[in-house]
Amino acid sequence: MFNYTFHWHQALRALPQMLDGALVTLQIALLSMAIGLACAITLTLMRLSGNRLLGGLAQSWVEIARNTPALFQIYMAHFGLGSFGIHLSPYTALLAGIAFNNAGYLAENFRGALKAIPDTQTRAGRSLGMSSLQAFRLIVLPQMLRVAFLPMTNQMVWAILMTSLGVTVGMNTDLAGVTQELNARSFRTFEFFAIAAVIYYLIAKAVTLAARLIAWRMFRY
Amino acid sequence: MKTSILALAAMATALTGPAFADKLDDIISSGTLRCAVVLDFPPMGSRDANNTPVGFDVDYCNDLAAALGVTAEIVETPFPERIPALMSGRVDVGVASTSDTLERAKTVGMSIPYFAFEMAVTSNDKAGIKSFDDMKGKTVGATAGTFEAIALEKQVKEWGAGEFRPYQTQADVFLALSQGQIDATVSTSTVAQANVKTGNFPGITVVGKAPFDTDYVALFTNREEYGLLNYLNLFVNQQVRTGRYAELYEKWVGGDLPDLTAAGVYR
Amino acid sequence: MFNTAMTASDLMFLLKGAGMTLAVTGVSVAAGTVMGVIFGVIRVQVGPWWAAPLTFILDIFRSVPLLIQLVLGNAFQSIAKLGWGPFATSCVILSLYTAAYCTEIVRGAIDAVPPTTRRAGRSLGMTWGQDMRHIVAPLATRIALPSWIGLTLGVMKDSSLVLWLGLIELLRASQILVTRLQEPLFVLTVCGLIYFLLSFPVARLGGYLEKRWSND
Repeated sequence: MFNYTFHWHQALRALPQMLDGALVTLQIALLSMAIGLACAITLTLMRLSGNRLLGGLAQSWVEIARNTPALFQIYMAHFGLGSFGIHLSPYTALLAGIAFNNAGYLAENFRGALKAIPDTQTRAGRSLGMSSLQAFRLIVLPQMLRVAFLPMTNQMVWAILMTSLGVTVGMNTDLAGVTQELNARSFRTFEFFAIAAVIYYLIAKAVTLAARLIAWRMFRY
Repeated sequence: MKTSILALAAMATALTGPAFADKLDDIISSGTLRCAVVLDFPPMGSRDANNTPVGFDVDYCNDLAAALGVTAEIVETPFPERIPALMSGRVDVGVASTSDTLERAKTVGMSIPYFAFEMAVTSNDKAGIKSFDDMKGKTVGATAGTFEAIALEKQVKEWGAGEFRPYQTQADVFLALSQGQIDATVSTSTVAQANVKTGNFPGITVVGKAPFDTDYVALFTNREEYGLLNYLNLFVNQQVRTGRYAELYEKWVGGDLPDLTAAGVYR
Repeated sequence: MFNTAMTASDLMFLLKGAGMTLAVTGVSVAAGTVMGVIFGVIRVQVGPWWAAPLTFILDIFRSVPLLIQLVLGNAFQSIAKLGWGPFATSCVILSLYTAAYCTEIVRGAIDAVPPTTRRAGRSLGMTWGQDMRHIVAPLATRIALPSWIGLTLGVMKDSSLVLWLGLIELLRASQILVTRLQEPLFVLTVCGLIYFLLSFPVARLGGYLEKRWSND
């Protein structure tokens, strides 16, 4: 049917390399989620603080992260900062770009989640003698994370998918980078990228499954 | 009587067979020649102040189209995209300074060389690299999938020290070099000198030759299009014969005209 | 004010790139929404078991990076000798990508219409088609619109990936300018600003509609 000989054997021989790349992908996604989560919680605190400057800064971060493409953010992190003399390696630039993006989206998810938590609880905590930071950490934060858990899982899957953009800033150790290198040598685009697609699918599904298990375990009454 | 006429008619159609139109015919009948050209690679291909493509490869493509009697369409492809663009049918030929390596010849058909490059090392002044061997242990980069990138990556692996970064366009490599993200790169001497001359990249200098073989580049098209390949071979030969090659070289590069033959071997 | 070599014609070049972004987005969202509505209705009607193959295929489009999808789609159409240009290939892949997300939005919206209302309509003698057109459609559209606007904006931003297939959209146009002018920060800032201006008002509109139509 197709006038094209598929060279699957050549592609499958590169599987170990691609699996190493998949590990790097997972690593970047997890790290960027952790950093993004920490930043998002900070941004939420900034917004709740009532201080106009902090709130404005937090809002700008969220708006820029959500209204510009992830590819643009990653490219900016590498080449844009580079013109200031700040050198982020491709790995760091990719991590920074994805974490920036994650923080913006997660902060917005948290804002929605906070609406589900009545602020009477915060007031009750304060009247018991807690500082506002303690009240946030012990009362609001756990509930907020539980409500926002599903969007957070989605964001994690998105982070994994976004790591593929690293090829544009010279990343050649993650899954997409390894695949592109193999492709640039042999021009067997379909075979290599098809295998990469299968690996990405399996990673995404595994992460979703793991998240469901964690949710089931952690959020039992 | 009727059956024999029918049988005769059937035989006649069977004998004429399917009309075989190859790519050369397709290009001529369509009236357009789509060339893959790299436009971040001065002086072979770049954009002028109005963002229109100019360069040696652009003129070469126009000459080819004129010879075929069609109009040229310049399709911009970054380096790693040249051959994939041909394979996916986006372009008809590649006039994209493509080195005629044996690995590529497994996938595409290459003509006789139409240009030859020397490889030079360009480094960021702050890195203190004065020669090819000084690159050992430093962070170097090149454009993914090119002849010099593959050779450089192999060299970095042999040294066992330092880091190699592949970027997806030649422009990104020089941007990274001038920002100091990489300490040095190996590229053709022509693009290095052209970029240094523009003054847009402060702080980089060409520091010397790289000990890679002379890089002969060829036109390329589909492996099975023998008609078009023969035409391209004759076209390159005629460009040299009529002095057009020397004329274009003087216009875009200047200096000694590189010899397009390999001594001691035919073709 | 700024000491830049960027000219008005360069700005036009950037805006032409933005036009390409909008064109790809427009075609993909239109086609993707139509497909998403059809698939969503099918999924609701047919039930989870029978719709499982469809769900599986659409799930693939949401679990594989868009960059990989574009490259794979391009490689496939070249192997099958379909002769599609990069614009057509990008639109097909982005439409399927949009449809995958839109199906979920439509399904959620249809499920959110109170079944009692629908049953009341049927018991008044409406056919399934009339029920869909007069009862479900207005309610579901209201529920789905904010999410759909979010999806449209997401597709507009993800359309920056079509530069990988050689289309000169906004990000690629700015990369070309950066190559020529060597002012990465300025050109990229202008590029980001254009993206922001294209996305922010629509996002605000979506948020406003969501607030107005929510039952708080």
